[in-house]
Amino acid sequence: MINSILRYTIIFIVLILLQVLLFNNIQFSGYVNPYVYVMLILLLPVEISSWVLLFVSFFTGLTVDFFSGTLGMHAGATVAAGFVRPYILRFISPRDGYEAGAKPSMMIYGFRWFMLYTILIVVIHHFILFYLEVFRFADFFRTFLRVILSSLFSVTFILLAEYFRKGR
Amino acid sequence: MRNLLNFLARYINLILFILFEGIALYLVINSNSYHNSHVINGIRGITRVAEEKITNIKNYLRLHEINVNLAKENIALRNSIEQMIKKEDQLFFSVSDTIHRQQYIYTAGEVVNNSINKQKNFFTLDKGRKQGVNTDMAVVSPDGIAGMIIGSSDNFSIGMSLINIDFRVSCRMKSNKYFGSLAWDGRDYRYAILNEIPQHVPVHVGDTVETTNFSAIFPEGIMVGIVNDFEKSGGDFYKIKVALATDFKKLNFVNIIGNLKKTEQQDLEKTYQ
Repeated sequence: MINSILRYTIIFIVLILLQVLLFNNIQFSGYVNPYVYVMLILLLPVEISSWVLLFVSFFTGLTVDFFSGTLGMHAGATVAAGFVRPYILRFISPRDGYEAGAKPSMMIYGFRWFMLYTILIVVIHHFILFYLEVFRFADFFRTFLRVILSSLFSVTFILLAEYFRKGR
Repeated sequence: MRNLLNFLARYINLILFILFEGIALYLVINSNSYHNSHVINGIRGITRVAEEKITNIKNYLRLHEINVNLAKENIALRNSIEQMIKKEDQLFFSVSDTIHRQQYIYTAGEVVNNSINKQKNFFTLDKGRKQGVNTDMAVVSPDGIAGMIIGSSDNFSIGMSLINIDFRVSCRMKSNKYFGSLAWDGRDYRYAILNEIPQHVPVHVGDTVETTNFSAIFPEGIMVGIVNDFEKSGGDFYKIKVALATDFKKLNFVNIIGNLKKTEQQDLEKTYQ
């Protein structure tokens, strides 16, 4: 228990640092802003209580908000991602269900399962984030394009990171 | 009671979700409003030390470029002094010796934090209230306008960048003085859109766009950018794409301009509107 809390704390710190120091500074033509810290929400154990998940989501989002000076945006998007996660896990559950104490990982459930899982949550997160950012529905499709392109980058990074994390 | 507890246990997720989203939305809306930036200000304080260090390193690496720019600015200033001596009364921003006739006051500032990859971009300057920087002052880079101050603490201030989708500034064509409203469309940080120029006005690619003094924030005649492209949009107006003179990616040393007669102008206008 203590061990896994420590592990997730380290993952949290690494992801926040990556996001704040590296990915927040990325800019391709104003359309691509990857937000990879959402990977923390993906990696939490399957059986975690939903309310803990919501608290962790809110706290994670708020931390990113603090560092990017965008109060509330990331918190809102991440809480939404944390809220839908149990439903998505149930929706894409493997035929024989999840084992006790399982963690969503590429090694156990396979590349395709993990990719689907990542795409669903990242797109929901980015969708809410980018519309909260512009806070208007003018230019709806341009914002939508930003959601799609940025999600593409975030998903690619998360898949690579997960691959190397487990590939050691 | 038991029913209530059951209800809570059952819907705890939904309740927490709505609660958290409510807080988040409240924060978003609050920090969205223009002049309510003290929240951002306070928060920036936490990360400010790190940001200043990073900016210092970046500046050191760019010293040569900065020197070249300063030299260029010096030459431009010498030229304008020369002009001022020769035709004093034609100079539009009348900076004369007596405080009695002076309208604009200038302070130099340095950008310690800046963003260009969001839809709502802000920058932090290293001058604040103690140095006389206040809300609604104009921020101008050596090349052209950069933004305006929306909040200040004792030693720092936050500026809303021109490349922020909430930013509006009144601009005009230098050649024929027709004015319109300039705003960033959230796409490319190098271009902004100038609207409300009527279609009977001759517009050419390469024309200069400069500020007007309608808002009482920017002095008249400050460089904004150059017409890059234009098309007819509905309602007899042009939609003009302006290549911005300021390069926001390397925004660094800026001038902060305060209008000494702003209150007088605005009070008068308020009385009659």
